[in-house]
Amino acid sequence: MRATFPVLALALTCAACDNTITSSEVLPPLDAASLDSTAGSWQMIVLSGPTQFTVAAPAADTSAAYLAELAAIKATQANLTAAQRRVVDYWAAGGVLRWNQIVRGLVARYNLPPAPRPDGTYPVPDPENPFADPQFPFANPPYASRAYSYVSVAQYEALKTAWYWKYQYHRPSPARIDNAIRALMPISDLPAYPSEDAVLSGVTVEMLKVLFPTAVAEITQRAAEQRNAALWSGKAAASDIAAGLALGKAVAAVFVARAGGDGLRTAGGNPALWQALKDSAVARGEIPWISQESPPRPPMLPSFGLLQAWLMTPTEVTAERPPAPPSTSSPQMHQEVAEVKETVDHLSGAQLAIAYKWNDGAGTYAPPGHWNDIAAEHIRDARMSEVRAARALALLNMAMHDAAVGCWGVKFLYFNPRPVQLDPTIKTVIGLPNFPAYPSGHSTYSASAALVLSYLFPPAAADFDAMKEEASISRLYGGIHYRSDIERGKEHGGRIGGYAVRFAQGDGAN
Amino acid sequence: MLRGSTVLPFLVIALSAASLRAQTVDDGLLIPRRTLGTGLVYAHESWSQYWEGTLKRANGNIGTLTTQSVTWMAGYGVTDRLTVMAMLPYVRTNASQGPLHGMDGVQDITLAAKYQLLATPFTDRGTLHAMVVAVAGIPASNYVPDFLPLSIGLASRQFSGRLTLNFQAHQGWFLNGSVAHTWRAKVTLDRPAYYTNGQLYLSNEVAMPDVFDYTVTAGFQRGRLCIPISLSQQRTLGGGDIRRQDMPFVSNRMDFVKAQGQVMYRGVHLGMSRIISGRNVGQSTTLTAGLFHTVRF
Repeated sequence: MRATFPVLALALTCAACDNTITSSEVLPPLDAASLDSTAGSWQMIVLSGPTQFTVAAPAADTSAAYLAELAAIKATQANLTAAQRRVVDYWAAGGVLRWNQIVRGLVARYNLPPAPRPDGTYPVPDPENPFADPQFPFANPPYASRAYSYVSVAQYEALKTAWYWKYQYHRPSPARIDNAIRALMPISDLPAYPSEDAVLSGVTVEMLKVLFPTAVAEITQRAAEQRNAALWSGKAAASDIAAGLALGKAVAAVFVARAGGDGLRTAGGNPALWQALKDSAVARGEIPWISQESPPRPPMLPSFGLLQAWLMTPTEVTAERPPAPPSTSSPQMHQEVAEVKETVDHLSGAQLAIAYKWNDGAGTYAPPGHWNDIAAEHIRDARMSEVRAARALALLNMAMHDAAVGCWGVKFLYFNPRPVQLDPTIKTVIGLPNFPAYPSGHSTYSASAALVLSYLFPPAAADFDAMKEEASISRLYGGIHYRSDIERGKEHGGRIGGYAVRFAQGDGAN
Repeated sequence: MLRGSTVLPFLVIALSAASLRAQTVDDGLLIPRRTLGTGLVYAHESWSQYWEGTLKRANGNIGTLTTQSVTWMAGYGVTDRLTVMAMLPYVRTNASQGPLHGMDGVQDITLAAKYQLLATPFTDRGTLHAMVVAVAGIPASNYVPDFLPLSIGLASRQFSGRLTLNFQAHQGWFLNGSVAHTWRAKVTLDRPAYYTNGQLYLSNEVAMPDVFDYTVTAGFQRGRLCIPISLSQQRTLGGGDIRRQDMPFVSNRMDFVKAQGQVMYRGVHLGMSRIISGRNVGQSTTLTAGLFHTVRF
């Protein structure tokens, strides 16, 4: 029987096959380090100012209507169910970070390319018919960068407006007014009218209806839960919430209108454009990019580079572009192709792990989502107020959106082939993106993101820089990018990120 | 998976290779006391269609996925009622189309102990055996499970409890039934988040659902010739489907029904198996060839 011991030992090594997983992003209840009471005067990005939308004065704290609202909260709290308590606890972490997590989940859910039809063509997701197959959207990296930025910027502008009106009216939270109302989440001296939770629910749900229309039922339910959490916790009264919801929706309308005309609708191009891109590369004497998918797939959003940037004019977008890549027939390009092959065929375990860590391919929250993931933990640890958290994510996501616009413009200007096209013996250890190589999107996103996060969290600047380097070189390890794609991408992303940092330096929030 | 055709690749390899008859974890036989059987099995498994959830499809970016393996196996009769076994495969994958890189490496080491509870005459035609088997598997190298269907395995530590009933007739035919439950430990990925089964997980750890499987085998044995034919089914007790046009994921619900036949004569074993139906697996055909050697101490 002694021989059974090794087997039993192995079984125990399995530690009863432990299957509990640890989340890397547990959010405690938000107890903000500062009220940020001056946020109503911080610089706007799209709105003209905090008074573009007026919030009418609330009823007096002593009015019968308000006292009835307080009584209703007390009645709810007296009979709070465990399910209601879970809703309160979930949203106590803060709406900005919770919605950021939800949006990352939506991107991952919708980040799948359409399957080919039997005839070898691909259907295109239709925003006018989003429930058809394939569902709209295909939340690929440029689309994702845009989605994160619209949600973040709209939330930020709505919260600055809310902060302005909060400090016009100074109405405290119900739990601060009435001792019989318990504070079921941290409740500060921040004025409650209009409710920031309701503002966030209103602005976010309206943006997400446009960005992820087929998820509307789930999004609407989440938003309602966020408002309920504010009500049940003693943080906001019904009138605080009604005013916040109306304000959030009003601000969202501005951004929904902007999204309708920012250029996304035509960014997919058409067969004539795809042919013109190829012809243009041939006319310059270069080998044009060709889809390596089977059947060949049209390139991903070839006109995304024409989208309206957040912090750059079209002239600036063009002016910041990197120089042309090495010619496809140049000795340098041959040497760079050889480096990719040599690298991918001799990867160390550590290099392979880096390739997968930063893969962020189809079915994931995309590279911009990875940087939101990184930012979220710093925002949490800094205990930022909702408006300051929204600022951080708005700066980050504007930079990455503008990085996507800048990068895509260059990709489709040069229409440069991927390594496996120039040397079909190269095999990739991650999925091959279906768009031109130069410059690397990962490198551009990461450099812009690292610059913004280093500005926001200076003590971690070296970490962000190391992540940027790792994310960028991961594409060489993956076998999908040349070194010059990566180097020029990082430089380009750094220049674009500089626009967000310069904005932040003068926005009044420091 | 799409890799191999099972969440228990080591087990399938063992099945298809079935050594001295008493060298698989789910047959009803033991190795005689103080006898060592060792062998090498080559397996060639390939599929060109797979089930994306329940949708059967081909994929031009993969073409035919081929998995080749060489497995070292050993079994030793500790007593006449207890056999211990070990297996270690080297696995190499390749896609015939598309840009994806194949992978190779040493996969999971498997250790098993098979204990005979019962061996009793049953009717006047033969003998009934009952045995319990404990099987433990653990990754033997640092391979990547996050590149399915090119990954060489799922990189999960696992433990199975198995019960086998075997009837061996005096005339030579036999009937064997075996059921097992497998517990699998969480898998750690190199990335900080993943989406599966309708949810984004902000973690590098993946919970692995349990697996249930059973095999029914009928066959004939005379002298050193043995011909078993089996039907087996694996059901994964949880996990999500591969989404439309997505890559497979390590914790997917991988189910299949498989038919298999073998011919074993002396130390030479040849086998073939085919997945009949499945979910989140490739419809693979596997050919195996093994050479075994027995030593008595």
